[in-house]
Amino acid sequence: MKTKTKFGKYGGMFVPETLMPALEELEENYLKLKDNGKFKSQLNELLKNYAGRPTPLYFAKNFSEKVNCRIYLKREDLLHTGAHKINNTLGQGLLAKYMGKTRLIAETGAGQHGVATAVVGALLGIRTCIYMGEKDIERQKINVFRMKLCGAEVIPVNTGSKTLKDAINEALRDWTANIKTTHYLIGSVVGPHPYPKIVRDFQNVIGYETKRQIMQQEGKLPKAIVACVGGGSNAIGIFNEFLGENTSLYGVEAEGRGIKTGEHGATLCAGSPGILHGCLSYLLQNKDGQIKEAYSISAGLDYPGVGPQHSYLKDKSKVNYVSITDKEALEGFKMLSETEGIIPALESAHAVYYAVKLAKQMKKDDLIVINLSGRGDKDLHSVGNYV
Amino acid sequence: MFDLKKAFIPFVVAGDPEYNTSKQIIKTLVDRGADMLEIGFAFSDPIADGPTIQFANNRALASGMNSRKTFELIKEIRDYTDIPISILIYSNLIYQQGIETFYRHAKEAGIDGVLVVDLPYEEAFEYIEAAHKHNINPVFLVAQTTTKERLKEILKSAKGYIYAVSVLGVTGARDNVGEETIKLIKRIKSKTILPVAVGFGISNQEQAKQIIDSGADGVIVGSAIIKLIESNLKNKNKMINEISRFVNKLQYRK
Repeated sequence: MKTKTKFGKYGGMFVPETLMPALEELEENYLKLKDNGKFKSQLNELLKNYAGRPTPLYFAKNFSEKVNCRIYLKREDLLHTGAHKINNTLGQGLLAKYMGKTRLIAETGAGQHGVATAVVGALLGIRTCIYMGEKDIERQKINVFRMKLCGAEVIPVNTGSKTLKDAINEALRDWTANIKTTHYLIGSVVGPHPYPKIVRDFQNVIGYETKRQIMQQEGKLPKAIVACVGGGSNAIGIFNEFLGENTSLYGVEAEGRGIKTGEHGATLCAGSPGILHGCLSYLLQNKDGQIKEAYSISAGLDYPGVGPQHSYLKDKSKVNYVSITDKEALEGFKMLSETEGIIPALESAHAVYYAVKLAKQMKKDDLIVINLSGRGDKDLHSVGNYV
Repeated sequence: MFDLKKAFIPFVVAGDPEYNTSKQIIKTLVDRGADMLEIGFAFSDPIADGPTIQFANNRALASGMNSRKTFELIKEIRDYTDIPISILIYSNLIYQQGIETFYRHAKEAGIDGVLVVDLPYEEAFEYIEAAHKHNINPVFLVAQTTTKERLKEILKSAKGYIYAVSVLGVTGARDNVGEETIKLIKRIKSKTILPVAVGFGISNQEQAKQIIDSGADGVIVGSAIIKLIESNLKNKNKMINEISRFVNKLQYRK
């Protein structure tokens, strides 16, 4: 490999030999293209006119009054397909096209990444297959329909826990058999090198815009930034630009029914380092190293691993990792809908509610930015079961 | 690790379908003339394996199999036979025990070679060191996609034998042997004096013969045996009989 494959001890390339040449090919092409003028302008054009960038940084006045602190929302929920995932799928889709790949595969949990991949497949004219756990297909029917409408094939995964973890296993197996023609479009900052870096770079636009927008609107950087963490792509996307700054960063994991119940997705808060899906990172596992099933009300946070850079940032205390329960997330979901008329994705609602808690320790004039990574339309059905 | 002859190397997952039957299956494989054993450590997320071996992993885990019991089972097999025992394992199971501790336990159990399926040579440094320290052969995969440069690096670290992955893809029985497989065997043989065992997808005598005729030293058969476990879960005697019969049919060489 030409670049560093690890963040401290985390990351790496723990994959069978068959896949190694594909990772080498991917890194080589990515390094060549990321500074290529034509590639960059094509991507920027798509981000602007297809996806809808830049997204607004919105001062949430009513919500701010309610929590007694100045709250800004980075409106990734306004992007085409309804979440930040499109930043990465456009980037990797274009990369695949330049590499001459004729087929895209992807895993999806909540279906947001699957939809974002399916639309890019349609846009760029590349055949697309999406692996999705049977349980998630049940939870996210509308997204399955959206993917199919865009011409993607949705392949149900009925092994293991039948969720995101198993969809990744199946996608990796597919890739092993088809590496010559196929690009595996990973949806988060997870997997073997170079994926955690590629996905971070394509999501970095969130923080890049936020920094300029907050300076323009407030003339200073925020006191804190809050983002939810499943695999961790929206969080890295907004954190990365602020890592050297005097801004406190909070990554919010899914506490599900509570850490003590064992039914949660709080990998960094309650897990330990181990190897899954090609990288060394924090995991939910038993003492033998068998991977445990994660649980969250939100399918997008229901993952027993996390991006290796987050593990590194945790150990270095550069980011505070905290957790929010299902109940609290639902509270955040309702609060934002009622005060601002903005319905957040259940994933993002975890960040929303943590900001409510955080505001209590802040002064009235302090600024908090919440990365509103997705919109809640997809969750109306499952929230309906609870409220 | 094994002699340069037409070696028959069966693969099963330790504890599939449960400890005692698994032990009986492995002993049967030894009795029927296995030249070396490949024993898999059950893992929850075996990304290199097709459905047949995934289900075998699930059955073993569901029956309560874990790393400690797997070592125990291998120890029992070690007492039963002198043929080499190689294990197939995913890296997290080693990492969680502590790399050095794992290789020490492996040696104590009588294991001769360790192949970590998801460990390319780039990540293998500590594992190789621990293997050397405990006099265990670090075994590596070579795939059709492995470049000339990578093969050179792999051969620097590999000991015991080379595990050639016959297909582009995951484990699972297939019907024929492709030209690419034969090319791969010849390519590896021209670069090393280590024995070459070929695995992934071999399920019948004709395939085994083709592979040996192209210069390989051994044939690893996994999914085809495991399918006989899967299809006879309710009748253990029939399971053992069918495995015996299948293995006899594969003994084309003797």
